Amino acid sequence: MRKYVPKDNVQAKAYYTDRFWVSPRVPRNAVEEGTHFADVVKTLGAQCKEAYIVDAQLVVHIDAPENFKVIKKLKEQCGYTQCSEQSAVDYLAQDGEFELFWQLLNIDEAKRIRVTTRIKQGDAIESIEKLYRSANFAERELFDMFGIKVNNHPLLKRILMPDDWEGHPLLKTYPLQGDDFASWYEVDKIFGKEYRDIIGPELRDPAMIDRYDTKRFARIGYEVPFGEEYTEEEQQPVEYSETFMVDYNKSSETLDERK
Amino acid sequence: MPQVKNKLTPFFENINFERDDNTMVINFGPQHPSAHGQLRLVLELDGEQVVKAYPDIGYLHRGIEKMAENMTYNEFLPTTDRLDYIASTSNNYAYALAVEKLLGIDKDIPRRAQVIRTMLLELNRIISHLFFIATHALDVGAMSVFLYAFREREYGMDLMEDYCGARLTHSAVRIGGVPLDLPDGWLENLAAWCDKVDHETKHTYEALLTDNRIWRMRLEDVGVISKEDALSWGCTGVMLRGSGVEYDIRKEEPYELYSELDFDIPVSDRCDSYGRYRLYMEEIYQSTKILRQLITMYKDTGPEFIAHAPKYISAPKERIMTENYALMEHFVLVTQGMRPPKGEVYVPTESPKGELGFYIKSEAEPYAYRLKCRAPSFFHTGLLQEILVGTYIADVVTIIGSTNIVFGEVDR
Amino acid sequence: MAQHQVNYASTAGLPIALTSVDKLVNWGRTNSLWPLTYGLACCAIEMMASGAARFDFDRFGVIFRASPRQADVMILAGTLSKKHAEFARRLYDQMTEPKWVISMGSCANTGGMFNTYATVQGVDRIIPVDMYLPGCAPRPETLQYAMMMLQKKIRKYPADFKKYPIQDLTNQKGPRKVRLI
Repeated sequence: MRKYVPKDNVQAKAYYTDRFWVSPRVPRNAVEEGTHFADVVKTLGAQCKEAYIVDAQLVVHIDAPENFKVIKKLKEQCGYTQCSEQSAVDYLAQDGEFELFWQLLNIDEAKRIRVTTRIKQGDAIESIEKLYRSANFAERELFDMFGIKVNNHPLLKRILMPDDWEGHPLLKTYPLQGDDFASWYEVDKIFGKEYRDIIGPELRDPAMIDRYDTKRFARIGYEVPFGEEYTEEEQQPVEYSETFMVDYNKSSETLDERK
Repeated sequence: MPQVKNKLTPFFENINFERDDNTMVINFGPQHPSAHGQLRLVLELDGEQVVKAYPDIGYLHRGIEKMAENMTYNEFLPTTDRLDYIASTSNNYAYALAVEKLLGIDKDIPRRAQVIRTMLLELNRIISHLFFIATHALDVGAMSVFLYAFREREYGMDLMEDYCGARLTHSAVRIGGVPLDLPDGWLENLAAWCDKVDHETKHTYEALLTDNRIWRMRLEDVGVISKEDALSWGCTGVMLRGSGVEYDIRKEEPYELYSELDFDIPVSDRCDSYGRYRLYMEEIYQSTKILRQLITMYKDTGPEFIAHAPKYISAPKERIMTENYALMEHFVLVTQGMRPPKGEVYVPTESPKGELGFYIKSEAEPYAYRLKCRAPSFFHTGLLQEILVGTYIADVVTIIGSTNIVFGEVDR
Repeated sequence: MAQHQVNYASTAGLPIALTSVDKLVNWGRTNSLWPLTYGLACCAIEMMASGAARFDFDRFGVIFRASPRQADVMILAGTLSKKHAEFARRLYDQMTEPKWVISMGSCANTGGMFNTYATVQGVDRIIPVDMYLPGCAPRPETLQYAMMMLQKKIRKYPADFKKYPIQDLTNQKGPRKVRLI
């Protein structure tokens, strides 16, 4: 029987986890009164569901449909004039949701805010491209990598993968080495499906050694011409190998047979 | 060699461009002699002026973020080298700092490691700026500057090679410190090199380019980015400072030893390529100034160069080879990987290209649950679709060079 | 050409060199190999460094040309992603015969450290390669050594490169006699 591999998260996993171990958490501090962050939280009011400070940056949890209004408020009233980063985390296996975040920067105060929200699979979010042009590329990457659609984006097209790619790579269900579509993509595109047998599948195993493959492996000391068919019986050592190389396939009393 | 029939025939992209007014669509393809890598720009030209520009990226997408979800934190460090491959230690350091903040050990880094790391960062900054001036000048047409700058760069890469063994993809920084102490004579070589770089920048690159009529005509008023545009498009680093915004993460959100060092931040409000070029030159001088201060700081530091955090970081080799418990911990850390606390961090650093930040979300597994690399060049490439409009096609090359994009970062 | 040193004593003082057409043509070909600038990723930087001041490539007669029509060698330096594979093949097809390919660095040889969905696992899946350079990134001296090895290989070829007709290999019967692509 083959090993059971859960299909909802095919990324590599640690082979051992102690059942009773409780991991520490990255410390979260409360927002102190009278600081810049306290003003920000007050400006957001009811839209901010939860707010705390991690590593000198404020993290604010909001509801997904309100992202445009919240970020607009942060931009115009609190002075967060630059959006450094936007992306998502795939929690579909655990909760069926994506966790999106926007990382904003206030140049004058040199403070950063992370606005976080959760959306269900299949939901779309509002684009903030009108507020920050950097969202143009960042939201396209979000769509390309996760499949999260963005409303009111000027050009929502794949950006990092080719335009005719199927699948969204950063989802946890997508294998690292690519699914069937990915592994034959370049062969199909350039030569056509008929050449799949001629070119052969991708060699994804870095530890593979094939002693009868005379095209890919060097066989130091027992070289044969490139591409020649070779069978087991005639393992002829090449001249130089007899003088100074040790043949570990032959057993002998002395450990080192070098002349 | 026989020519095998394949399906590639000439075809035309069906991108929606306006087809009246006799505009020409040209493809500034993923292979072009400008040294910046695999950028494909589809330009719609009206005569010589660009009417619309569409940057098409993704030709170097290697799935680095997905690799991070399948490798332990320490295993992933050499992969970060390949993001901004011109100044590799900056990416290694940004990643290591992010993981250290996640682990909570960023205050425990020994002083010697801090000095060495800051020296490596500034060394990489100079190497990157020399590469910038070399390739920018080569694109604009001043080819001898390419050879001169590479000469200095070779000496700098010799220094990196003396330290960590590799010229280009360094991995010179570890989570918790540095892997090695400085070799003998390295500091003297570094001091001599700083003097040489200062001298050459002043007497060769600046002398050849700064007051050169042709250079000025090619670069002034080309690629003008207003302050609002720069902020809106997510520009950071020299692109932002070249538009008048005085923001440098080393001063505003200091990490490592930058709060103790004395250096200035050059800012220009020219907003064009010439201003950015001057800023890069000034930054080279500031970096050599920092390096000279660090050279004097090295001798006052203690001998450890990696933090002591046995749950997360392996012990030094002498202890591993002699003590049993250190060996057992090292084995577990290498085979299984360390388990950081559960949570997320975003840590921005000032790489030579701009704000390089890492967002790490961990679920207390040895593999990161999500790693997002905020690459400065990604947003600068987005900016191209705005600033290329209205320029001449000769200026397109100048602007691409001036934005200092490197495609390892853009595509990850 | 050093094999054919002129020995003035034997040829009665006349400057005559004896050679064959093959050797003459190969001397011309090998000593002025013009590569296509095809730097993709980090190895491109090492390729540029090998052309720069310290590891001068010009002394080999190597001048980097931007257009595939003018190039003899294609040095694939860096990771080939699947989005780019089509363009690499197109450029290879556009190069004129005789042409050779050097695959520089681990990413071009086998996909390298990027064992992922978006990387072509070795450029030789789509382009026939003559020389494989290991390294990540290989030093510029390695690239120059590979160029010298390629020169050595080229000297074994006959001067007349027959242009093969374009083959469709899908209906080929029997064992494959030809190195595929």
